[in-house]
Amino acid sequence: MSMSATSSSSSGDGPEPNSETLENQFESVTIEESNRIVQKDEATEEPQLESSFNGSLDDNGNHEEFDVLEERIEVGSDARGIGDSGGGVVWGTNSELEVDGPSSPSSSGYAGERGSSSATSASRIGEVSEDEIQEVGNDGDVDRILDSQVAWVPGKRHVDEDDASISWRKRKKHFFILSHSGKPIYSRYGDEHKLAGFSATLQAIISFVENGGDRVKLVRAGKHQVVFLVKGPIYLVCISCTEEPYESLRGQLELIYSQMILILTKSVNRCFEKNPKFDMTPLLGGTDVVFSSLIHSFSWNPATFLHAYTCLPLAYATRQAAGAILQDVADSGVLFAILMSKHKVVSLVGAQKASLHPDDMLLLSNFIMSSESFRTSESFSPICLPRYNPVAFLYAYVHYLDVDTYLMLLTTSSDAFYHLKDCRIRIEMVLLKSNVLSEVQRSMLDGGMRVEDLPGDPLPRSGIASHLGQHKLPTDSPERYREPYSGIGGPAGLWHFIYRSIYLDQYVSSEFSAPISSPQQQKRLYRAYQKVYASMHDKGNGPHKTQFRRDENYVLLCWVTPDFELYAAFDPLADKALAIKTCNRVCQWVKDVENEIFLLGASPFSW
Amino acid sequence: MGCSSSLPDRSSRRLSGLGNPESNGVPDAKNLRVKLVLLGDSGVGKSCIVLRFVRGQFDPTSKVTIGASFLSQTIALQDSTTVKFEIWDTAGQERYAALAPLYYRGAAVAVIVYDITSPESFNKAQYWVKELQKHGSPDIVLALVGNKADLHENREVPVQDGMDYAEKNGMFFIETSAKTADNINQLFEEIGKRLPRTPPS
Ligand SMILES: Nc1nc2c(ncn2[C@@H]2O[C@H](COP(=O)(O)OP(=O)(O)OP(=O)(O)O)[C@@H](O)[C@H]2O)c(=O)[nH]1
Ligand SMILES: [Mg+2]
Repeated sequence: MSMSATSSSSSGDGPEPNSETLENQFESVTIEESNRIVQKDEATEEPQLESSFNGSLDDNGNHEEFDVLEERIEVGSDARGIGDSGGGVVWGTNSELEVDGPSSPSSSGYAGERGSSSATSASRIGEVSEDEIQEVGNDGDVDRILDSQVAWVPGKRHVDEDDASISWRKRKKHFFILSHSGKPIYSRYGDEHKLAGFSATLQAIISFVENGGDRVKLVRAGKHQVVFLVKGPIYLVCISCTEEPYESLRGQLELIYSQMILILTKSVNRCFEKNPKFDMTPLLGGTDVVFSSLIHSFSWNPATFLHAYTCLPLAYATRQAAGAILQDVADSGVLFAILMSKHKVVSLVGAQKASLHPDDMLLLSNFIMSSESFRTSESFSPICLPRYNPVAFLYAYVHYLDVDTYLMLLTTSSDAFYHLKDCRIRIEMVLLKSNVLSEVQRSMLDGGMRVEDLPGDPLPRSGIASHLGQHKLPTDSPERYREPYSGIGGPAGLWHFIYRSIYLDQYVSSEFSAPISSPQQQKRLYRAYQKVYASMHDKGNGPHKTQFRRDENYVLLCWVTPDFELYAAFDPLADKALAIKTCNRVCQWVKDVENEIFLLGASPFSW
Repeated sequence: MGCSSSLPDRSSRRLSGLGNPESNGVPDAKNLRVKLVLLGDSGVGKSCIVLRFVRGQFDPTSKVTIGASFLSQTIALQDSTTVKFEIWDTAGQERYAALAPLYYRGAAVAVIVYDITSPESFNKAQYWVKELQKHGSPDIVLALVGNKADLHENREVPVQDGMDYAEKNGMFFIETSAKTADNINQLFEEIGKRLPRTPPS
């Protein structure tokens, strides 16, 4: 298929988005186009579409705006000039990265961080799942099959690699942290110490450009993008051929930097003032797994680009009960009390005037979930919330209440442990008594919104008692598997959606189901969302935007208003008018169940 | 086995408010409660020792400690006293070194651990002994533990070195293996025996 449509528009003075549905904006389109699939004629045939979508349809399969985007960055940072004139450095680096040759299975497998009986649980197959070198051989399909079956295994891989290994050069996405003197601090692949020479090269590029008065941000070299982020004495670099937009990669570097600040605080900069050649790696000992898990989440956790958090679906009263007891302890001198199950929030409260940024929540939960030791017993550890205060440590009391559910109590006082322990005991008792914990476990099993369950009736329905408005059948009922859309997504070819509430700083994402079932398909969809997100948030666009994009993989429809953002993926053959109609139904559905899927009121963000 | 079964935290007398139960003074001289801190280089096996003692388990996958973990375990001694250990298992990672006082402040017992296959960890242990002699409670009970005794074929710190150093510094010394459980309970029983029986006033 070569069909592709990209368009966006701004209409600044739109009415309340809640009072006018997306469908109303396209009312005539909806009626007149209900049987149409081919997109290319629409712009000319429908003036209404023009006015709403600003009709710059792109029929030849190119994503024009991304080309424009690239140009803007490269010109802005003068990186193209550097790439050309300083070719000795930049292109030299590139040609190394592009070396062709047979895939070398040089990795001898995962080696534990240390210890005599290091973990060997990650098999060769396990490594393949993040290898990302499928394009090397002709056996890509085999890899993909393996990929879909093998879960991600935490921890650093390929420590025996360095920049001379072909396998290392073939990796699709590298992340590095280095100091301004060129000392390696972290590398996603390979042993930092063996990459000293490569780090020095990166450092040379950055300082070459900085001395010229420019801040190098992006270098494009063949298939590769090299993105730089300078944070005082610390440099972060991403080398990627994943075709993710610059904004996404930069956002990922920002998160990696913040993750480091969460562990060390910004006062680590002082070490460099005293000694520019300071070696930071010992300070980050044992944290490889924290970074690799964050990097992994770039491909599965939409919070990493939405800058919002998501809640575990729960009955309103259940979440209220959890919030009440958390509020109780917050009043006794706890700065933040957060109850989460995996990466989903059950409830959270903050002391008066204290506000918690969604990025901090992401980094905190990543830190806790990736550090296995928190699961063994209650812990008390200094952590820094970069968005709250990047120069000071807070103290976190962490305790797992069951395999997935953990409580975090944050305070400024280093000797509050016994108080926090008491708070936890009280909280745990209340949660058990009021059945919150069992509800949490049930919701983890039930999952979130499913496109198959999208209500057919767009009118708000009253008296919804069941989970997320589903009329649930017993799990063992055969009816469950005879739902009309099962296996082919939801109505009108709806495959997936993400709804982000601006005011709440929260998003809800539908569960993945066939046909987007393998981790690879999910990753690809997130990358597509990321692209659209970046283009929708490109500066210079108005506050009220829509975008309809069709390629051989999906129809992507997004709608950004001052109140919310909706990203929806449809079958590539989906009918446009029906898709628009379906998006309205999704928004209505989200509104109908907002009590269950969002944490409402008492949000620390609103203060 | 000199260990009674572990008392779950919740059944013990609740400590309320900000009150910090750091004082070893318990009303009953037959039922001691002591704060114990483990110190030593990352990877020497502090967490494995504690988990072997408290849960009777050994998990060979390394789970580097963050900050510090808190666990407790009660044992019964021959003379029918019971000792409840409230254990701070600290992180050996360098970035947490400055926080150690937070955990050893008010501790009645400090267990300093090294790995018999690693001379660096033995050096680090000596650093901790000095720090505690300077800044720990004056009457603190110090124990020096050479762990991973099961790896004797890779031994790099002779038993005699550990013994000599401990003796010079008035410490109790033992070699253990969290992996085989060798000497783990003995370590805590011996500590229990050495505790002052009358609560300090
Ligand atoms: N052979 C052997 N291995 C051990 C023994 N005790 C611990 N280990 C191994 O040593 C590694 C580190 O053990 P930990 O208990 O996590 O070390 P730690 O001292 O708590 O380290 P930090 O938490 O970083 O300070 C683990 O991989 C264990 O499998 C032992 O007695 N014998
Ligand atoms: Mg430990």
